[in-house]
Amino acid sequence: MIGTVVENIKLNDKYYYMIINNKDFVENAKVGQFLMVQSKEYDYINDPILRRPFGVCDVDYDSGDFSILYMIVGKGTMLLSTFKKGSKIEFSSPLGNSFTIQNEKNVALVGGGIGIAPLYFLAKKLKNNNCKITLYFGGQSETDIIFLDKFEKFVDEIVVTTNDGSKGLKGLVTEPFIKNIDYYDYVYSCGPKKMLEAVSKICINSGKAVEVSLDERMACGLGACLGCIVYVRDNDGNEIQKRCCVEGPIFDGSKVIWESVCRG
Amino acid sequence: MIESLKINLCGVEFKNPIITASGTFGYGLEYANHIDLNKLGGISVKGISLKEVKGNPMPRIMETSAGMLNAIGLQNVGVERFIKEKLPALRKYDTKIIVNFWGKTLEEYIEVARVLDGEDVDMLEMNISCPNIKEGGIAFGTDPKMTYEVVYNCKKVMKNKPLIVKLSPNVTNIKVFGKVAEEAGADAISAINTLLGMAININTRKPFLSNITGGLSGPAIKPVAIRMVYELYKTIKIPIVGIGGIMNYRDVIEFYLAGASAVQVGTANFVDPEIPIKIIDELDNYLKCNNIRNISELTGKVEI
Ligand SMILES: Cc1cc2nc3c(=O)[nH]c(=O)nc-3n(C[C@H](O)[C@H](O)[C@H](O)COP(=O)(O)OP(=O)(O)OC[C@H]3O[C@@H](n4cnc5c(N)ncnc54)[C@H](O)[C@@H]3O)c2cc1C
Ligand code: FES
Repeated sequence: MIGTVVENIKLNDKYYYMIINNKDFVENAKVGQFLMVQSKEYDYINDPILRRPFGVCDVDYDSGDFSILYMIVGKGTMLLSTFKKGSKIEFSSPLGNSFTIQNEKNVALVGGGIGIAPLYFLAKKLKNNNCKITLYFGGQSETDIIFLDKFEKFVDEIVVTTNDGSKGLKGLVTEPFIKNIDYYDYVYSCGPKKMLEAVSKICINSGKAVEVSLDERMACGLGACLGCIVYVRDNDGNEIQKRCCVEGPIFDGSKVIWESVCRG
Repeated sequence: MIESLKINLCGVEFKNPIITASGTFGYGLEYANHIDLNKLGGISVKGISLKEVKGNPMPRIMETSAGMLNAIGLQNVGVERFIKEKLPALRKYDTKIIVNFWGKTLEEYIEVARVLDGEDVDMLEMNISCPNIKEGGIAFGTDPKMTYEVVYNCKKVMKNKPLIVKLSPNVTNIKVFGKVAEEAGADAISAINTLLGMAININTRKPFLSNITGGLSGPAIKPVAIRMVYELYKTIKIPIVGIGGIMNYRDVIEFYLAGASAVQVGTANFVDPEIPIKIIDELDNYLKCNNIRNISELTGKVEI
């Protein structure tokens, strides 16, 4: 697919927010899905070669705009940050499975750093379904705590933590979350794998359902390369393989075999 | 039908010479919702073995400059399930089906070749060049005696289908292997498979891939592939299917000039599934502009 860059906004030195116009994409995108984005403007340049996966952060059905929220990591995201308003950008259709949207429940969203990107789209849908939402948002420091003003419209409560204490409570996001776990019916989480594992274990121990969005390195995003395998347990307890790009990126956190999920 | 792109490879009529490479196109069906498979000249499916293979632990892929490393480990459903679960759906498309296959032992190679030869497929492609598995695969592709043995014995049990032998670039002299495969009865050669490579994370001081090493593919390896196709063309008489970093029609023309009679598009399928289709349209246009009636006229026409 090809879209037009409507805005490519620098939020701070680490984070950018890109709005892209493409009606087809917006009509088909489900909450929790991702897309593979071509980070270079000219296809006769061969490096970097692979498209980059990003979660769908928001969609606007009226204007046909959707957005991604991204963190500068390496060459792909660096190039992405140079796209100007009005330029054309190439990407895949919406890919992967989606979050299940609960109705009239008490839900917790636990986001770590850039992991809040897909949680924004999710928060809007949950609000629509009259859920009562708490956002637990953890970062390394103040620069990681972005988008709060946007979330405020859709969530009922926000709890912020930073590792260095520069904003919100000092410490890990799981600390306030575990204290209040009994209150929630359903938990959604996206962020670093260590955090997802901790959140999943807290939920398992208190018998709460938990959906996590997992990031694996991806080449194709279509289920063909088999580069993005996640090991999970099926209902009989057998270890099975799932492709993060097709059968994921959303997984039941209690089924993921966390020891085998690759880090780094 | 584009007349300028029709080719005949070992008696099989292809509507165009663009084939998707094994390992980069799953069983074809993964791409059915993304592109029109009927437009492709052919599909070479993921390497099939006698029994199901679960593949290597993660991480299995890593991007590198103008290419990528992979160590998937020839994960596949096994020949029986392939025939039952994948082939019937794939056969519904109007494109040639090439089944890439491999074995851990000589006996396994022969058995898979025998079974597939009796199925509704167009060609077989023997993989003696995967760098990512411990047993079989590359061992057969880096020792000329073993190459002869495996090609000769598989050909003996194959009564119906032409056999392409996919060569490894991880040898000192690829001409030797081309020659040996030809003498053993191969109907065509495909070259090249991935180059053995490695990448290290300087922060953790660990290799990026769990398998330590992996196969390098993409535009980064194209000059090596062009050189090898050129060397093979001068050495053997059977047709050569050129593979290695093809991203656009210019790359296809370059492979033809070096000596190719068809090509396979690999890593590009990951980058953008539309690329093979775009190449077909661009090629037609190029041939028209240059008054070339059929692409086959270009095979081996590099001017030295
Ligand atoms: C399903 C999914 C959703 C994602 N959503 C977002 C999002 O909404 N916002 C955001 O900022 N990031 C997101 N990521 C991570 C994002 O894809 C990477 O940060 C990005 O690919 C880095 O590219 P780079 O070229 O800048 O980094 P480099 O390190 O130079 O990239 C090298 C290679 O590693 C891959 N890679 C590097 N980091 C990651 C990672 N964390 N996950 C997967 N692949 C990686 C790249 O795609 C590339 O192939 C998501 C990843 C996945 C799998
Ligand atoms: S990224 Fe290729 S199979 Fe998932």
